[in-house]
Amino acid sequence: MRLLSLLSWLISPVALLALWALLANAGLFPANLLIPPLEVWHSFTDLLATGELQEHLTGSLSRLALGFVVGALAGLAFGTALALSKTVEAYCAPLFHTLRQIPSIALIPMFVLLFGVDETFKIVIVAKTAFFPVALATCEGVRAIPRSHFEVAAVYRLRWTTLVGLIALPAAVPAIVTGVRVALTRAWVVLVACELLAADSGMGQMIEMGRQMLRIDVVMVGVVITGVIGFTLDFGLRRVERRFTRWQSR
Amino acid sequence: MNAIAHALPTTATHGALSIRGLSKSYALKGKPMQVLKDIELNIQPGEFVSIVGASGCGKSTLLRLIVGLDQAYQGQILLDQQPVHGPGLERGIVFQDHRLFPWMTLQQNIALALKNHTMPATHKDRLVAEHIALVGLSGYEQAYPHQLSGGMAQRAAIARALVNKPKVLLLDEPLGALDALTRVRLQQELQRIWVQERCTVIMVTHDIEEALYLGDRVIVMDAHPGRIREDLRIDLPHPRERDSTVLQAYKQRLLGELVGH
Repeated sequence: MRLLSLLSWLISPVALLALWALLANAGLFPANLLIPPLEVWHSFTDLLATGELQEHLTGSLSRLALGFVVGALAGLAFGTALALSKTVEAYCAPLFHTLRQIPSIALIPMFVLLFGVDETFKIVIVAKTAFFPVALATCEGVRAIPRSHFEVAAVYRLRWTTLVGLIALPAAVPAIVTGVRVALTRAWVVLVACELLAADSGMGQMIEMGRQMLRIDVVMVGVVITGVIGFTLDFGLRRVERRFTRWQSR
Repeated sequence: MNAIAHALPTTATHGALSIRGLSKSYALKGKPMQVLKDIELNIQPGEFVSIVGASGCGKSTLLRLIVGLDQAYQGQILLDQQPVHGPGLERGIVFQDHRLFPWMTLQQNIALALKNHTMPATHKDRLVAEHIALVGLSGYEQAYPHQLSGGMAQRAAIARALVNKPKVLLLDEPLGALDALTRVRLQQELQRIWVQERCTVIMVTHDIEEALYLGDRVIVMDAHPGRIREDLRIDLPHPRERDSTVLQAYKQRLLGELVGH
């Protein structure tokens, strides 16, 4: 059964690959623009052998990790405060809901002016992208904890540490993990976009350099790897999500 | 179960509940709304008291006040002559919805009620196992609430409420959400459990038959504002026969009073 579902997963990528190979060989596009899959594969192994790919990957992933941790932790704290405190809600909710509507991409020009084109700018924009979905999911997750849970805790006179650790957290965690998953994949997309514009390393920079030097094979390697990384992040967090929601009836 | 036979002679010595001049108002759209007015009630240790009445008569509110989830009221609630302040482990409650935590197994849910006790872990484990057995759920210790039927989940909730050995057990329409057959079966179970545990029980219900079958007393409440209309003593030993003529006569009478002729 597992093997079968794994095989069914492979059908569409293989079909796409076949279509790509077919189109590339048919000569509908210039050969230096639509590179056949096999050549892209060779470029991929070359980039691996020289260590160039690893360098770009490390650059991107460490930016993602740093920015994401900062943004997600801030989102977690702010979301909890927004859910629990009437004061925080009164002062911050309208601004929060306005700011979260602004696409991260739209902030790039302003952030470049403020933070320059170096590391700070990319980490700030990743943190910003992670912050809003996590804050929103946390706020809604905490608010959705039924009052009846707290009443049961009161009846059994549970200490607040028990209340938070055994009741509030497990009740809110599924929603929060979903927010984290959305935030992480979004942060990845935005980071690659930023690197396209301004960077001296990273997946986006690799793609942009490939384009400038008309190395479309390198561009394709970058595009595919960006997709695979995004998929892996999403898949990994879906597993985490399942782990936390096993108790829910389906 | 021969528990009934040998448990009968035991009489409870704790769990006398005394309610004096109890009144309660809510603010509804800025206007005060009286939900309970001058409730006077004396309940003997080990007594099973059923409360019936139309919806809006404040019977569930009364339980919330006794259990201590709502502390804004006038009057006094005394348990064994001591005023009640907030929730306490000597008062257990079962709600209409089982309120088990869905991410905990049956065993974990029941053990949670003992979290605040300082007894050794082995003692706690034994109490949990005993109470799971008491409600007939042995073998389901590791089941999650969504794997239990409604009746089983409600049994688990009863076990959780009893595991602290409360002096008073409050039941807020505990069987209201169950199908008719399960309800009848659980009424028998409740009777057996109560005879065995002999704690004071106050059960709110809108099922007159259930109130009569289980109660030593049936309190009939009126609505707007909620007050006691009648305090009916049912002098019939437990365990009872559901189709006893005495109960049938009371049922006709109460139906007549509550529904009108």
